[in-house]
Amino acid sequence: MRAFLTVLLKELIMFFRSWGLVAVVLYSFTVDVYIAGKGFEVKPRNVSVGYVDYTDGIISKKILSHLHPPEFQEPIRFNSQEELSKAVYNREIIVGLIFDPDFEKNYFKGKAQLNLLLDATAAAQSYITLSYIQNIVLRFNDLNFPVELKTHKLFNQNSDTPKFLALAEFLSILTLITVILSSVVFVKEKESGTWDIMLLMPVDSKVIILAKSISQIIIVMVGTIICTGIVLFGVFDLPMNGSFFAFVLLTLMYTFSTTGIGLFIASVAQSLVQVAQLSVIIMMPIIFLSGSWTPIYSMHPILQQLSLLSPLRYYIEGCESLFFRGTPVSDLWLYFAALFILGSVLYLFGFRKIGKLF
Amino acid sequence: MRTGVIKAYVLKEFTELVRTKLIVIVYLLPSMILILFGYGIKMEVKDVRTVILDYDKSKLSYQIISAFEHSKYFSPEVLNISEKEALSLMKKAKIDMIVIIPESFEKNLLKGIGSEIGIFIDASFPFRGLTIQSYAEGLLYNEASKLLSSDKAGLITVNQRNLFNQSMRDEDAIVPGLIGIVLLVSPAILSALIIVREKERGTIFNFYSSPVKKSEFVIAKLTPPFLLHSVNIFVMFLWATYLFKVPFRGSFLTYWITSEIYVMISVGIGLLVSIVARSQIVAIVLTIIITVIPGFLYSGIIMPISAMKGEASIEAHIFPVMYFNHIIYDTFLIGQGFASEKNLFYFMILLLYAFGLLVLGTLLMKKELR
Repeated sequence: MRAFLTVLLKELIMFFRSWGLVAVVLYSFTVDVYIAGKGFEVKPRNVSVGYVDYTDGIISKKILSHLHPPEFQEPIRFNSQEELSKAVYNREIIVGLIFDPDFEKNYFKGKAQLNLLLDATAAAQSYITLSYIQNIVLRFNDLNFPVELKTHKLFNQNSDTPKFLALAEFLSILTLITVILSSVVFVKEKESGTWDIMLLMPVDSKVIILAKSISQIIIVMVGTIICTGIVLFGVFDLPMNGSFFAFVLLTLMYTFSTTGIGLFIASVAQSLVQVAQLSVIIMMPIIFLSGSWTPIYSMHPILQQLSLLSPLRYYIEGCESLFFRGTPVSDLWLYFAALFILGSVLYLFGFRKIGKLF
Repeated sequence: MRTGVIKAYVLKEFTELVRTKLIVIVYLLPSMILILFGYGIKMEVKDVRTVILDYDKSKLSYQIISAFEHSKYFSPEVLNISEKEALSLMKKAKIDMIVIIPESFEKNLLKGIGSEIGIFIDASFPFRGLTIQSYAEGLLYNEASKLLSSDKAGLITVNQRNLFNQSMRDEDAIVPGLIGIVLLVSPAILSALIIVREKERGTIFNFYSSPVKKSEFVIAKLTPPFLLHSVNIFVMFLWATYLFKVPFRGSFLTYWITSEIYVMISVGIGLLVSIVARSQIVAIVLTIIITVIPGFLYSGIIMPISAMKGEASIEAHIFPVMYFNHIIYDTFLIGQGFASEKNLFYFMILLLYAFGLLVLGTLLMKKELR
């Protein structure tokens, strides 16, 4: 036990001695998350609109009046279609509306056509913008359509992206930092040759490995508390619909399994440069299969099975459930179990591979 | 500037890159990022797990259900459970959408009283929620206009032309932007590592004590990453056009020259990082933080530059990614080339940027112990 505490303390002191690393970790957990959350929004917002109006009638004005902030910028008038398409080609305007000269005449005949130029280089934005405009026009059509669509977006009624993006950034930073820190503590010793001396000591190698990993878990957990407390709750006002204690526990389980990945990398890598390479190569599929970009149900069935191996999958779903959905903890036991099993397997591998001199 | 010294230094760097197998990563990593992200980032949502609670069980409600069944976006299930049970399923993240068709839906409609359809969407992934909403509303409005095909006056149809990306493929929209990120990140990491490695090992003192000039050192250290990643420019192009089938409408020369200058910028960033960082691990993390995040945020992949406001817009104009991506998207999807003044202007900015970074890096570099 004393050996355990000594190694633990040694690693913590080592960490705080390299002020550069401390600064980078602090920066990532605070400023970086802040920038990512504030930086951008995925839903159409401030979409730049331009129009050419050959009719000078009322109906075109009425339609334009529906395009208002926050979704759209004030529509800009262009004198000719050439000018408008030039602006679209220079990517200054995303949506261009063209009202033909006989638009108004046709409107009263009942077959008016609204021409729309859409910069589809940002496919996702364009798709949603298009459906916004279609909805505006449909509403304008004033069909005698007696069915009202009552849409409720649960758990995040306004589709508030900053909250979500800050959380997502926090998750990826946490993953990145944990994996890199926990593999570096081993490989640094390997590189300078002190790891062999560690193993020669009359202390069980498992104790040393656990002490080293746990010291990194402590650092990351402190970072997590700082990040959630100051940035996520303080700045972004993230809701906490589940229990905070469960979140801390889930994070602990998650860091346990990611330090397992770090241990795996450390047992394969011989130098710090290799750590960087390996961690990127291993992290990519983990993030890719986590369902944070592509929903898991939209993936190929084989990939869906593979995604069961990604610890980030359980953590993201667990965090989403705890923060937004407010799922009771009893429904989340599967996530805890999965993370624990993944971590244990990785640690067992690490014990065998790195914990033996011969 | 003695070419002999530089040549010897460059040769040494290349041998070291091959010996440490770092060269593998130079070619493996960028392609891996491109392929993974290219396949990975899908804005389109397919097979949304939908539960339909049909309390009406009429001809009309069946019609709506079959519309959901025939859409590739939804995989609906009609269940006989209460709303509460459905909601708890959603809380467990088992389903993404609930559609509720109320009792006597058809009857009320025929009488002309009006009725409503309830849609509940899990928006804990907000963007996914929005996409699902637009799919579902589009589908229902579409069904509605089929039912009410009246020749009423004042019907406007929208005739849209999706410029540059007719079928709205995600690949077309994302892959060119990814090239901008990859060519920013990997040369920067490589050049930072090459310099910081010497610092960490202490071999940098060879440089401190030798008569090699600062400019010679910088040129010698930055040439290998620059040359190696110049090859990557072509590799990226081939992946994009052959694997992802992104159309290429501009001139290849524009793409090539702009990318070379961009790689210079990236190498310059690596140089700046190497001045600050003392250990390799700090160098790696620092480079990733200052390249990857702005790379994604201000590349225009996720949010168009024209839609940014305030701080975000200013920050986007500070980083080089935006200028490069504007030209890259142009060469791939639009094809105006330097005929447009904006592209030419952005190209000039990139040139200035590259020049400025390299000069700044050389000036700030110290040839003595701090």
